[in-house]
Amino acid sequence: MPHRHRITAALAIALALALGVAACGGSSDSGDQSEAQSGPRTLNVWLMTGSAPPAVVDAVNAQWKTAHPNDTVKVELQQWNNITTKLDAAFAGSSPPDVVELGNTLVSKYAAAGALQDLTGSRGQFENNQAWLQSLTESCTLDGKLVCAPYLAGSRAVIYRKSMFAKAGVTPPASLDQLQAAAEKLTQTFGSDKRFSAFYFPGKYWYAALPFVWDHGGEVAIKDGDQWRGALDSPESQAGLTALKRLVDCCSRADKQGDELKQDQAFAQGRIAMIVANGWEKGVILDPKQGNPKLEKDLAAFPLPSRTSGQTAPVFLGGSDLGIAAKSKNQDLALDWVKTLAGTKFQTQMATVGGVIPNSTTLLDLHAKDPYLSVFDATAKNSRFTPTSPNWANVEAANILPDMLVSIFTERATVADATKKASTQITDTLNSGS
Amino acid sequence: MKPTVTPDPFGGELAPPRTPPTAPSSRRRTAASERHGPRRPGARGRRLRPLVPYTLLAPSLLVLAAILGFPLYRLVALSFQQYGLRELFAGKGRFIGLQNYRDILSDPFFWTVVVRTVLFAAVCVGLTMVLGTLVALLLRNLGRPMRVLVTAGLVAAWAMPTLTAISIWQWLFDFEFGVVNWLLTRLGVGDYVQHNWFDQPLQGFAVIVIVVVWAALPFVAITLHAGLTQVPAELEEAARVDGAGAWQVFWNITFPVMKPIFLILATLSTIWDFKVFTQIWVLLNQRPSREYFLLGIWSYSESFGVTRYGKGAAIAVVMVLLLMLLTSFYVRQMLRAVEP
Repeated sequence: MPHRHRITAALAIALALALGVAACGGSSDSGDQSEAQSGPRTLNVWLMTGSAPPAVVDAVNAQWKTAHPNDTVKVELQQWNNITTKLDAAFAGSSPPDVVELGNTLVSKYAAAGALQDLTGSRGQFENNQAWLQSLTESCTLDGKLVCAPYLAGSRAVIYRKSMFAKAGVTPPASLDQLQAAAEKLTQTFGSDKRFSAFYFPGKYWYAALPFVWDHGGEVAIKDGDQWRGALDSPESQAGLTALKRLVDCCSRADKQGDELKQDQAFAQGRIAMIVANGWEKGVILDPKQGNPKLEKDLAAFPLPSRTSGQTAPVFLGGSDLGIAAKSKNQDLALDWVKTLAGTKFQTQMATVGGVIPNSTTLLDLHAKDPYLSVFDATAKNSRFTPTSPNWANVEAANILPDMLVSIFTERATVADATKKASTQITDTLNSGS
Repeated sequence: MKPTVTPDPFGGELAPPRTPPTAPSSRRRTAASERHGPRRPGARGRRLRPLVPYTLLAPSLLVLAAILGFPLYRLVALSFQQYGLRELFAGKGRFIGLQNYRDILSDPFFWTVVVRTVLFAAVCVGLTMVLGTLVALLLRNLGRPMRVLVTAGLVAAWAMPTLTAISIWQWLFDFEFGVVNWLLTRLGVGDYVQHNWFDQPLQGFAVIVIVVVWAALPFVAITLHAGLTQVPAELEEAARVDGAGAWQVFWNITFPVMKPIFLILATLSTIWDFKVFTQIWVLLNQRPSREYFLLGIWSYSESFGVTRYGKGAAIAVVMVLLLMLLTSFYVRQMLRAVEP
């Protein structure tokens, strides 16, 4: 028995050394006096599915571990579906996860309710903190305080199949009309397959519907003084949604009740010519297990075109931030972990391995030579965000936009009626006390 | 329902429940034992006797009070509070009186949901009872091997965990890979390729009703079958000899005899179908649109979706009150059937 103990100990030391050597390059100025204060602690981290590739997470953990050799870190992956319910429950408890990745539209809700630690004083410790992407920094700011660290951004473009475009004799469109024409041409060419979608658009995909609204001059909501007013029922918004409906009617056989969560797997099945997607979704499409690696050479992207020829439509700038729970008892450990993942070294890996837009402008040229990823980076320059109200998360949680889209596409309601109803709900929700 | 007069040549053992009290001969024995039974013991016994049942009930009442009473108290208390995310994280709400109730009752959506919930429950209960009765009658008329087979099928459906069952139904009615769409298309009923059953709420609710009734049927059918074995064959035979058809036999003999069982089953079904949640929640991928909201879903969505816990609690309280109102009808019927 003692013999075996010795072997285990030797293995543990070897492992610790190996990890230490592997992570030598990172910044090691962060390990201050904090480890001394108690025994081994566990840092709990919640990341969302599809955010950091497992290899990056492992490397971050390893580097963090060199500064905190006695402590352990546990990273859990959460699903986006109903994430707010899960977060509400977690933050209500006495020991929420120490670090949480939050969708940028959700931050203000939790910050306003006091769930997130104020990081204003620690901002100087973050690498690139002066070059952080503007819109992510804004999503992390509440009443002048920094409540999270920008993590990654993502904006959407159209991923398409080059071979299908060639067979139908169409080229990437430069205007919305051309997009409609190309989709119709593709539908004619491949229409004998009744499951074929030229422009695959699941009914609840509201992130991809907003560009049509914005491109026609519409808004989701407008702030009048301190009151919000839903604006999806404006003639401009309605025109945008009508244009989208025309496109969906002719050229999408996607589930009108469905969401975009499985669109990459569907795309990999080979019956779809175009999807609106994030840059990193290419990785899911080509995944050997759930996708089809053979499509590698056949994929390309173009920005969602505007109705004005030659311009692109404004897209929704999605993204995630890293917050630290106010109730966390491991503030120092959490801050170190966040700093590591948000720092230059791992943001570079996120951009090159993960295909996301990194959190600072100094790293934006990483994709410049990549004809595929540079399309997505370019769309980020013409991007918009959801209304900046702490109540916006409730608009999402109440599924107001997906419901509106579903009733439009299934023709349960006219565009006029559906947008009117949604606008009223948005007005009520944004103005109600949280 | 009109009162039925039942021939009762067998001394009242199986007194029909709704026989009016003006026919004392039919319940001679039971009525007598009830009336005179408690009077026989002496004065002390009479005083102690009522305590015995309560003493026996006490342990379970205590447990019930702890696991049901306290959450119920919390629910009612919550419904009078402004309780959002901030209050949740701080662990303390603010008393606002009846405001939550006023909000709900003034919301036209509330009445839509109430009507929808009641209609949905009515359809489900009706179908469950009718189909359950038919299956029970079928079971009685089947030969032994077939009866065992059908019972085994019923028990298997009953034993299946709800979530598993709903997931399978969801797959059957799936938009892309569903067996139902494939089958209907193959049978030439129409073009059901990529047909979404939940596009139109009426069709969607039809699927939900099927799933709910399917799950409720076994219990009702098996219980009713057990009840049917207690109906004296002589009674039915006598009626048949007198020239009654199958429907007349059922309506005038079988149904009145089994009425207490029907009432209990209908009460239970009403309670279950009024608060249907899981079926809709899972079938619609945990994001049902408002067209599919029943009271339970609405309450959940207000509480855990939009984090207005106070309002969600108020909806739940209103739902419980409505349910009590609806079931009180059955309970009264049941009490009337049992008491003289």
